[in-house]
Amino acid sequence: MRPETTTPMETAAPDLIHTSAAAGRSGRRSVRIAAATLALLGLAVIVVPLVARVDERLVDLGSALLPPSPAHPFGTDEMGRDVLLRSVYGLRVSLLVGLVAAAVSVVIGGLVGVIAGAAGGIVDRLLMRVVDGVNSLPHLLLGIFIVALFAPSVWAVIISVGVTHWTTAARIVRSEVLSLRGRPYIDAAINGGSSRMRIIRRHFVPALIPHLGLAAVLMVPHAIWHETALSFLGLGLPPHLASLGNMINDGQRSLLTGAWWPSVFPGLFILIPTLAVAVLAQYWRDRTSPRWRSELNL
Amino acid sequence: MSVAGALARLVAWRLAFLVPLLLVVTAGMFALAKASPFDPVRQYLGERALVTSQEIQDQIRANWGLDRPLAEQYLTWLGGLLTGDLGESRSFHRPVAEVIGERLGWTMLVAGAAVVLMLAMGLVLGTIAAYRRGTWVDRLITGVAYANEAAPVFWIGLIAIWIFSVTLGWLPAGGLTDAGSAVVSPGEVARHMILPVGVLAVSQSSWLVLFVRESVIATLREDFVIGARARGLRERTVLVRHALRSALLPFLTLFGARIPELVTGAILVESVFSWPGVAGTAVRAALAVDFPLLAALTLLATVAVVAGNLIADAAYVIADPRVRVLGVS
Amino acid sequence: MTTGAAAALGHAVTAQAARLRVAGLTVRFHLPGATVHAVTEAAFEVEQGRCLALIGESGCGKSVMAHTLLGLLPGNATVTGSAWLEQPGRPPLDLIAAPERVLAREVRGRRIGLIPQSPAAHLTPVRTARAQLTEALRELGGRYTADELAERAGLRPHELDRYPHQLSGGMAQRVANAIALAGDPWLVIADEPTTGLDRPLVDATMAELRRLCDDGHAVLLITHDLRAAEQVADDVAVMYAGRIVEIAPAADFFRAPRHPYAAGLLDALPTRAFTPIPGQPPELTRLAGGCAFRPRCARADDACAVRPQITPDTPVACHHPLERHA
Repeated sequence: MRPETTTPMETAAPDLIHTSAAAGRSGRRSVRIAAATLALLGLAVIVVPLVARVDERLVDLGSALLPPSPAHPFGTDEMGRDVLLRSVYGLRVSLLVGLVAAAVSVVIGGLVGVIAGAAGGIVDRLLMRVVDGVNSLPHLLLGIFIVALFAPSVWAVIISVGVTHWTTAARIVRSEVLSLRGRPYIDAAINGGSSRMRIIRRHFVPALIPHLGLAAVLMVPHAIWHETALSFLGLGLPPHLASLGNMINDGQRSLLTGAWWPSVFPGLFILIPTLAVAVLAQYWRDRTSPRWRSELNL
Repeated sequence: MSVAGALARLVAWRLAFLVPLLLVVTAGMFALAKASPFDPVRQYLGERALVTSQEIQDQIRANWGLDRPLAEQYLTWLGGLLTGDLGESRSFHRPVAEVIGERLGWTMLVAGAAVVLMLAMGLVLGTIAAYRRGTWVDRLITGVAYANEAAPVFWIGLIAIWIFSVTLGWLPAGGLTDAGSAVVSPGEVARHMILPVGVLAVSQSSWLVLFVRESVIATLREDFVIGARARGLRERTVLVRHALRSALLPFLTLFGARIPELVTGAILVESVFSWPGVAGTAVRAALAVDFPLLAALTLLATVAVVAGNLIADAAYVIADPRVRVLGVS
Repeated sequence: MTTGAAAALGHAVTAQAARLRVAGLTVRFHLPGATVHAVTEAAFEVEQGRCLALIGESGCGKSVMAHTLLGLLPGNATVTGSAWLEQPGRPPLDLIAAPERVLAREVRGRRIGLIPQSPAAHLTPVRTARAQLTEALRELGGRYTADELAERAGLRPHELDRYPHQLSGGMAQRVANAIALAGDPWLVIADEPTTGLDRPLVDATMAELRRLCDDGHAVLLITHDLRAAEQVADDVAVMYAGRIVEIAPAADFFRAPRHPYAAGLLDALPTRAFTPIPGQPPELTRLAGGCAFRPRCARADDACAVRPQITPDTPVACHHPLERHA
C-alpha cells in the first residue's frame, strides 16, 4: 500500500473526492452564511429606523469620540453620534442609492443590449465597440467628471453610476436576445404575423426579466462601492445624507488622533454585504451555464 | 508569422482603435460640459462673483473661449492638444501641461512600484494556495482575497494609517516628505512611499491571487505536467519551469483589462495619503469644476488604459508561441 | 506468482539480470457513486533484454498500468499489491510502497523511462522540444547530448527547435522516445506508442523498441495494436476487464493463443480472419462474478460461473482453454 503521507504535487493532482464532496460542503456552508448575513443586514436596515428611539443625527458633543463600549458598541463619532446607529442608517442610504443606480444602469444596459441583439449587423458591432470603449475608461474618473459638472447630489451620483456600469447588463441582455432570436417560437410568432413590437413585448421581455433582475442584484455592490468612493472624496452625496462614504470621510480627521472606530466600522458595513453578494454570485456562477460565466465577469 | 510581424499588426490595430476612441471620449466630455448647469466663470470666481462686474465676467468668458460654439471650442482644444497646449488649470492657476508634468512622475512611481509588488504577491500567494489546495493555507489565502476584494481601498488605506502611523508610529501618514522638510530626499520619499504603494498593491491583488490559484490548479492537472513528472524532474522544476510558465500566460491579457481599476485605485490612494501625484488632482479639479484639467486627466487615463492593454497583449504574443500563428485581434 | 510467471514463460530466473516483478497489483478509482476496478490482481515480469507486450482493447485497464508503476495516479486511486524493481547491486524496491520522494528522485527517468500516450500533449507547450530534452539531460545526468539522443531517435537537430504544437505525430513520438532515454533507464514503458501513426511509422517505432531490447534494455509495451506487438514482443500478456487472462511467449502466443478472448483478438485482425468478437467488453464499474468474458465466449458453460485463475501450471485464466500443440 502507498504510505499515507502525500506530497503537495500529489494533492494538487486531480482528486475527485475532495473537490466534489468536501468543497461542496464548505461551499454550501459559506453560501448559507452569506445569505443569512444579507438577510440580517436587510432586516436591520428596514427595522432599525422604525424602532430607534434616538435620532441618529442628534449631536452631543459631550459624548464625542467615545471608544466602543456596551452603551455604544461601535463608539461615537466626533459629533457624539452613535456609530452603530449611524452605520445602519448609512447603509440604508447607500443601499437605496445603490439600488436605484443599479436599476438605472440595468435599464440603460438592457436597452442597448436589446437594440444590439435585435438589430444585429453593423449596429451590433458599433454598440459593442462602444461597450469596449466605456470599459476602457476608469469608472471612478468618469464618475468624478460627471459629478463635477452636475454638482454633487443624489441624482448626480446615480447618473454617474448608471453611465459607467451599464455595460454588464448590456452584454447579458444582448447574448440572451441573440439566443432568443434563434428559438422556434419566435419564428412562429413572426410567421404568424405578429409585429416586431408585439414580439418584443410578449416574448423577449418576459424572458429577459430574470436576467435583468440578476444583473441588477449583482450591480448593487458595485453601485454602492462607486457611490461610497465618490462620497469619501467629497464628491458624492451631500453631507446631510449620511452615507457610509461620508462617514468614513468624516472619520479621517479623528483617525489621526487615534479614534479608529468612526472610520473602521462604516467600512465593515460596506465590506460585509459586498463579500456576501460576491459569495452568492460565485455560487450562482458555478451553477449556471458557461455563457453566464463569461458575461458575469465582475 | 514572426514575432515582429505579429507585434506590428497588434500595434497598428490598437492605434486604429485608440484614435477614434479618444475623439469620441473627448467630444463627449465637451458635450457634457456644455450640458452642465455650472457657469465656469462663476465657479472660478467663487465668492468674488458677487462683486465682479458683468463686463469683467464677460471678458473672462471671452478669454476662455466659452462664448464660442461648442464645435469650435472642441476643435480649438484639439488644436491646442496637438501643439502641447492643454489650456490653463482653473484650480491650480497654472498651465495644465505644467501641472501634469510635475505630478505625473510621482504617480508613475507609486503605480509602478505597486504593480511590481502586486505581481510578486499575487504570484507567490496564488501559487502557494494552488499547491496546498484544500489545506488551511489555501482557505486562508482565498478567504482573505475575497474579503480584500470587497473592501474599499480607501478604507484599507485608513486602517493602514491607523496601524502603522498612528498606533505604531513607524511610517508617516501621508505626503511626499516630512513636514517642514525643504529638500526632497530619496530616503524620505521612500519612507513616505511605503504605505501608499503597499495599500495600492494589496487592494489590486485579489483578482491576481485568485486567478493564479485557479490557473495553476488547472495546469497541474494537464498532461504535460504529468509528462514532466514522469521524466523524473524535481518537483520544483516541474512547478516553476513547466506548470507556472503555462499557467501564467492568460495573466498578461487579464492584467491589461484591470488597468482602469488601477487608475481608480491610484486616485483614491493619492487622496488618502495626500500623495502629490496626478491622479489625486482629479478630486481638486472636480471640486473646482476645472474643466481643462479634468479633460486632460480623462485623456491621460484613456491613453494609459489603451497603452497598458497594448503592452500586456504584446507581452503575450512574445510569451506564447502558439498565439503568433493565430494572431491577436 | 513471480516464479510462476517466469516458469510460465518458459525461461529460468537469471539472478544477474534486472527485472520488474509485478504481483497482485490491484488499482481502484473511487468516484462519487461508483468504483472503477481498473486493474485486478495483475501479475507479470519484465526482464532485461526482453520485451513484454501488455495487450488489450481500450477500457480493459491496461492504460493505467504505466501511471501506476510510476506513481502518477490521481488522489482518488487506491493501489494494492507489489511491483518489485530488482537491479543487481541495488536493494530491491517496491514501486507501489515507495514514497513520492523516492519515485521522483530515483525511479522516474533514471530507472524507468516512460514514452507516454499522446506524446505531444505530454510536452510543455510554451517551451521548445530541445529545451525540454536538455533539461531532462541536465537533471538526470544523462551521458549523451541532446543532438545525439535526437539522432538515435531519428530526428534531425533542427526539428528539436520546434514547439510541441509544431511537431507532427511522428516527430512528437520520436521526441518522446529521446526524452525517455535521457537518463538511460534500463526499463522503458511505451504506452500506446502507435496511436495516430501510419503503418510505416509504426514499423519504424517497433524496430526502435526492438533495438532497445537488443541493446540490453527492457521494454514494457502497452498496446491494443497486435500487429505492432507481434513485431517486437518476446512475451505477451493479455488483459481483459482489468485482469490478465493469458501470459505466454510471443512466438507461441501468436501461433496458437489459448484464451478464447486472445484467439478472438487475433481473428479480428485484417491480416487474419477479420472477424470481430461479438459484444462489448464489460464496464469496469460493474463487474459480475465468474469469468468476465463469459457473455461473449462460444466455449462458455456453467463451470465458467466460477472465475478462472492463472496458476503456475496454467498460464491461462480459462476453464476451457484452446489447445496449443508443439
